[in-house]
Amino acid sequence: MFSSGSKYLLGLSGLSLVAAVVYAFTVNPSDLGAIAILGLMVVVGFVAGIGLHDRSGDVATVEEAVAASAPAPRDSAWPMVFALGAALTLLGLATVPVVFLLGIVAMVAGGSEWIIGNWADRASVDPVFNNDRVRARAIGPLEYPGAAAVSLGIIAYLFSRVMLHAPKSAGALLFILFATAIVTVGFLVGYRPRFRGPVLAAVLSVGALVLVGAGVTTGILGEREQLAEASREDFYSAEHRECGEEEGKHFDHHANNKVNLRSAVLATVFVKDGKVYAEAIGLKDKLDTITVQRANNTNIMFRNLDEKEHRMVIHLGEAKVGDTGAVEKVETCTQLTGQDQEQVLTVNIPKPSAAFKDGYSITVPGAEGEVKVVVP
Amino acid sequence: MERTDSPVAHRANTRRAVVAAALGVFLAGCATNAPQDVFQPKGPNADKINNLQLIVFPLAGIVGIIVLALATYIFLKFRDKGQEIPSQAHGKPVVEITLTIVPALILAIVGVFTFRSVFDLAETADTEMVINVTGQQWWWEYDYPAQEKYGINTPIITSGQLVLPVGTKVLLRETSRDVIHSYWIPALNGKKDAVPGRINILRIEADKPGIYAGQCTEFCGLSHANMRMEAVALSKEDFAKWVANQQAAYKKPAAGTKAAEGETVFMNQCIRCHQVNGMKRDDGTPVIAAADENVYAGAAPNLSHLMTRNTFAGAMFDLLSEDCRDDVWEAKPEEFGAKYLAGVSAECLNETNLRAWLRNAPGVKPMYSDPAKLGPTGGKYRGMPNLNLTEDDIDKLVAYLLTLK
Amino acid sequence: MAIIERPTSEAAVPALATPSASLGALKRPMTESGWKSWLFTVDHKKIGIMYGTVAMFFFIVAGVEALLIRLQLAAPNGKILNADVYNQMFTMHATTMVFLFAMPMAAAFANYFLPLQIGARDVAFPRLNALSLWLFVTGGIVLNLAWFLGGAADGGWFMYAPNSGPIFSPSNGVDFWVVGLQIAGIASLIGSINLIVTVLNMRAPGMTFMKMPVFTWMILVVQFLLVFSLPVITVALVLLMFQREFGATFFDAAAGGDPLLWQHLFWIFGHPEVYVLILPAFGIISEVLPTFARKPLFGYPFVVFSGAAIGLVGFGVWAHHMFASGLGPVSVAVFSMATMAIAVPTGVKIFNWLLTMWGGKIWYTTAMKFAIGLVLLFTVGGLSGVTHAVAPSDTQQTDTYYIVAHFHYVLFGGMVFGLFSGFYYWWPKVFNRMLNERLGSWNFWLMFVGMNLTFGPMHILGLQGQPRRMYVWTPQRAGEGFFNLAFWNMVASIGSFILATGILVFLINVLVTSRKGEKAELDPWDARTLEWLTTSPPKAHNFDRIPVVHHLDEFFHRKYVEDTATHTMKRVADGADLVRAEEAAADKHIHLPGPSYWPLVLALGIGVLGLGTIYGIPIMVVGGVMILLGSFGWVLEPSVADDSEIDPPSLDGSTKEIAPLG
Repeated sequence: MFSSGSKYLLGLSGLSLVAAVVYAFTVNPSDLGAIAILGLMVVVGFVAGIGLHDRSGDVATVEEAVAASAPAPRDSAWPMVFALGAALTLLGLATVPVVFLLGIVAMVAGGSEWIIGNWADRASVDPVFNNDRVRARAIGPLEYPGAAAVSLGIIAYLFSRVMLHAPKSAGALLFILFATAIVTVGFLVGYRPRFRGPVLAAVLSVGALVLVGAGVTTGILGEREQLAEASREDFYSAEHRECGEEEGKHFDHHANNKVNLRSAVLATVFVKDGKVYAEAIGLKDKLDTITVQRANNTNIMFRNLDEKEHRMVIHLGEAKVGDTGAVEKVETCTQLTGQDQEQVLTVNIPKPSAAFKDGYSITVPGAEGEVKVVVP
Repeated sequence: MERTDSPVAHRANTRRAVVAAALGVFLAGCATNAPQDVFQPKGPNADKINNLQLIVFPLAGIVGIIVLALATYIFLKFRDKGQEIPSQAHGKPVVEITLTIVPALILAIVGVFTFRSVFDLAETADTEMVINVTGQQWWWEYDYPAQEKYGINTPIITSGQLVLPVGTKVLLRETSRDVIHSYWIPALNGKKDAVPGRINILRIEADKPGIYAGQCTEFCGLSHANMRMEAVALSKEDFAKWVANQQAAYKKPAAGTKAAEGETVFMNQCIRCHQVNGMKRDDGTPVIAAADENVYAGAAPNLSHLMTRNTFAGAMFDLLSEDCRDDVWEAKPEEFGAKYLAGVSAECLNETNLRAWLRNAPGVKPMYSDPAKLGPTGGKYRGMPNLNLTEDDIDKLVAYLLTLK
Repeated sequence: MAIIERPTSEAAVPALATPSASLGALKRPMTESGWKSWLFTVDHKKIGIMYGTVAMFFFIVAGVEALLIRLQLAAPNGKILNADVYNQMFTMHATTMVFLFAMPMAAAFANYFLPLQIGARDVAFPRLNALSLWLFVTGGIVLNLAWFLGGAADGGWFMYAPNSGPIFSPSNGVDFWVVGLQIAGIASLIGSINLIVTVLNMRAPGMTFMKMPVFTWMILVVQFLLVFSLPVITVALVLLMFQREFGATFFDAAAGGDPLLWQHLFWIFGHPEVYVLILPAFGIISEVLPTFARKPLFGYPFVVFSGAAIGLVGFGVWAHHMFASGLGPVSVAVFSMATMAIAVPTGVKIFNWLLTMWGGKIWYTTAMKFAIGLVLLFTVGGLSGVTHAVAPSDTQQTDTYYIVAHFHYVLFGGMVFGLFSGFYYWWPKVFNRMLNERLGSWNFWLMFVGMNLTFGPMHILGLQGQPRRMYVWTPQRAGEGFFNLAFWNMVASIGSFILATGILVFLINVLVTSRKGEKAELDPWDARTLEWLTTSPPKAHNFDRIPVVHHLDEFFHRKYVEDTATHTMKRVADGADLVRAEEAAADKHIHLPGPSYWPLVLALGIGVLGLGTIYGIPIMVVGGVMILLGSFGWVLEPSVADDSEIDPPSLDGSTKEIAPLG
């Protein structure tokens, strides 16, 4: 039933499972350690399975003639990968965790390839059988998806560098080009048999070179100016607002100014001829007061009908600054919005207007008037 | 089905007679006066739907009867009486095509009516009044944006009962603070979901003064069954009175009364979530509830003028004792306004319900308010917790709440 | 430095010592009896029976849940269940009925009879078939495990966001639900591809599409529906899983998500799903009605194409579940029209069934009674369906008991009656025993009366304003008069127990007849299709000789010829004789696929992996290991067992296996 070699391996695998369980219960169930021990169990159990599969680990059944005429093992780079992995693991322990993880991956990959290759070499005296059938069938299902995942990751990373560097307008074009190239090559491979083999290899190599070259270059050059600006302006922080008449270099110049969620807009604030007014669902008049439900995410749209660029500012009362006792005005605003363009702000006002002496209001810097926001 | 004798319902009555003929047995088996009966429209929107129902239901009934009759005939006529095994004919295309076209035609006719009324019901251009409706687990909040025409200068906020003037085309702007709910007053219109992040609109209009019952119809969690609503239609004059009262200033209970002690209890306990507009501390600063810090969805019912409503806790419980409630619910349209505006007096108060609620709210209405289970919401409640009030405090609170008229 | 001496190619090479054993890691479980022969089987018939048994178990579980619900609602302010448990109850009742009873029971019939009806020896991918079964079992276990681990899912089977999110459904119930359904979904997806390939590639010679039995046709349509709709629900479930387990915000309006996204995804799956449930039952009675009316199905092409049309249009009507969600009048009108359109092909089917019986010689067996029950009850459900295809009218009806009444008429009166018709019709084929007709009659009438008493009053309840999914109802909204809502709630509850008694009679019937039932004849119903052209139960290889098909209803036409003068049918052969003739001309050397451990290992591994998404990474790793080993075992194992693994060899020296596939 079980060959003698696989018995040890199965035992080791079981032991790692026990170790993992003990570790999980005593130390930390979702810790890297438990996963590492379980990883050991996977590898060893897997190898045991392979051992069982071709029964080569069974010392008793290896016939002497076979043993005598067994072909010499083939060259293998995997021991080196394994050693590299071990080195990286140690290095990682001393430096950064990423290196440690890389080391583990290299060790697992190198180790399993090494062991399986070794076993496969001894499965029979027929090297072709050993390689094509035993080794390829056993390791193929791991190798191909793994290699595919790694290469896709690399491609995505390199291409993303290019996209981050290229100007916004060129981005779409690049994307189309890239996709077209892939489809074209795919089509040629599918329908032009002559395209396979060396031609294909050459094309792929050129493609890889271009991608690597472009990726590395753009990676070194850095992100395009707008994005760099955005990070300098701290644009991605939720608190970032510039609600006066001044212009933020990134904040104000890369707004979309198009709104798709009209069905969810409670009220629209307009600027026309330098005057501010509002309209709300179900009410026909131009309003100077809008009523907003308390503690509810409410969308308010701003639509600029004037030539001059404007932004809408919602004043949301005051808040204490930390424990200092100082009081600061709370406000939020849209970006600068050009003529006939629109933006939406979502506000959630938990307290009724009565909570603040001045209540809440909407203004547009540079335009006359205000819209009172009443929260009952 | 209930019969009414108002002129508006008169046309419907004629049709109803036709329906009654077609679905006689079915109708005979119905309850009278079921408050949420979909065949008893009390306003033009529901009426439009009902007119459609009065076409579709009889039609379906007739088709059903024809099919069942045909089937019965076949079952009796062609049973095995020892006849020969018949010819193995595979069908007659003419019959089949006819039987495809006939139902298609019937449905096309229904489709035309449907199409018309879908757009008819979506009409909002002639809206006369707007009310915000906000769903939250497990109650509805209503607030009335400032509308000079109706004397609403400062917004009104209430819950449990939606008060509206009769003969007025009211637009509800529905949304929700947490999960999806659905607003349904069958006598006034079909249902419309309240979806967080969206504003769905629903038009209603009541023909006569009265209370129209409804219920949340989108499953909204634990106490979905206890999320009810009532729409109260008042004549225009009565509505104006109601508006004036809702905007009336806060009346602080006289010092030294039990109610005044109740106000203190309220300020110590209830104010953590429940707002009463106009309430002030001794130093004159307004008392603002901190619902957003204690309730996950960010709000709890505003209790200003609580005793002008007949219900509380998501219209699950009556504030009126049974007799007083029946008196209001069964009042004739012309008397209804006065009875409703009388509000809840000490004699009519349903103390059992109110005290049970104050004693242990989650005990009478399932809610997520066990502090041990509030991990996912970061300690915030979904519903009212058990405040462990003493009986004495409860006495005081009841006395105080009675002053909120 | 050592010099390594390499053997030269000319060196004497002994005979190639390729491993003599097969490439499988473990010895195959070749036994033909005992529990192993079931657990590791790849035989479509055994798999079909197991599907049926497990589905029946879940039917009883969900039935008990339904009874508890009706007990709770029999009187106002019920105290049997609290709000939380009630919500779990109706969620799991629906989920179990749909995913763990209806779909697998249809799969049971499809698995068992589809290969037989097209004259095939097995499905196209036998091991995948076993994997489907075990994944379904795993999914069912995961779904119901929640009962014992902190409460089952409580968001309704439609699991609308955001109520299904981690804040609003804090127990692990929804997590189990999400994982269980994903697993059951994989099972259905695999199964559907398997059956599609089987029908497309493995029909007996001469069986063109228009000679295929209607049951097979309907199953084929259903499999296409599954292939196109399951990916959508899978996407939705993955999104929900990410929302719950990994903090994503797809359905969170405050974070820019949209709760309606879930509804669209769910119903794009959910509506075709309705037809996935009902079409197999349509298929079954399209076999039963002609058999007992002694006439071929009236308008066969119309029935087939209306089935396909229902399937196709079924993808374009999902938003009629969302008429109240604020879609806007244009969408509402369009979906309303589309929904009415789907009533036409459904109506066609009803008329064709009635006309099949017209001019027939109707034999009222229990199977026939259930089939007729379906026609009548489905008509009622279909017509109430039309009343809420009318969108404005639907806004008054949706989420009330009227809808509950409607879909129980369609699904219980339709689907379940169809399945019971199938039980009585095919029982002798599968078990070589007749189900008792007297008990059968009791079974039918109790179910028919119980069903109408339970769900009939719900029409009234709904139209008079009682919403669904309420753990209590209040007398304040029940109206006045003797026939008030309290009365009808009570009637419905009583009806549910009559219904349950009917199902109990069925179980008793099964028990009694399995002990001392009458042995079935080979062709007890004078049937029409190929599954009767073999022994009962069929041999492992189904047919001794692959039949050559010349007619629709091939088996019937081998028994009868038309008398040209009177246009009546004259019997020329006996069914049993035909079967014996086939036996005499049996093929030799039939190769059947070998049994395998790996589908079971793989299915369990996926289950463990799923639990890992709830209970943490280490458990996921264990699941991953099981999946990895299962896949490897599967890949390395040849589909047909090696000679050395078969013990003992066949008695007559011939081997019976089918060509290696799967």
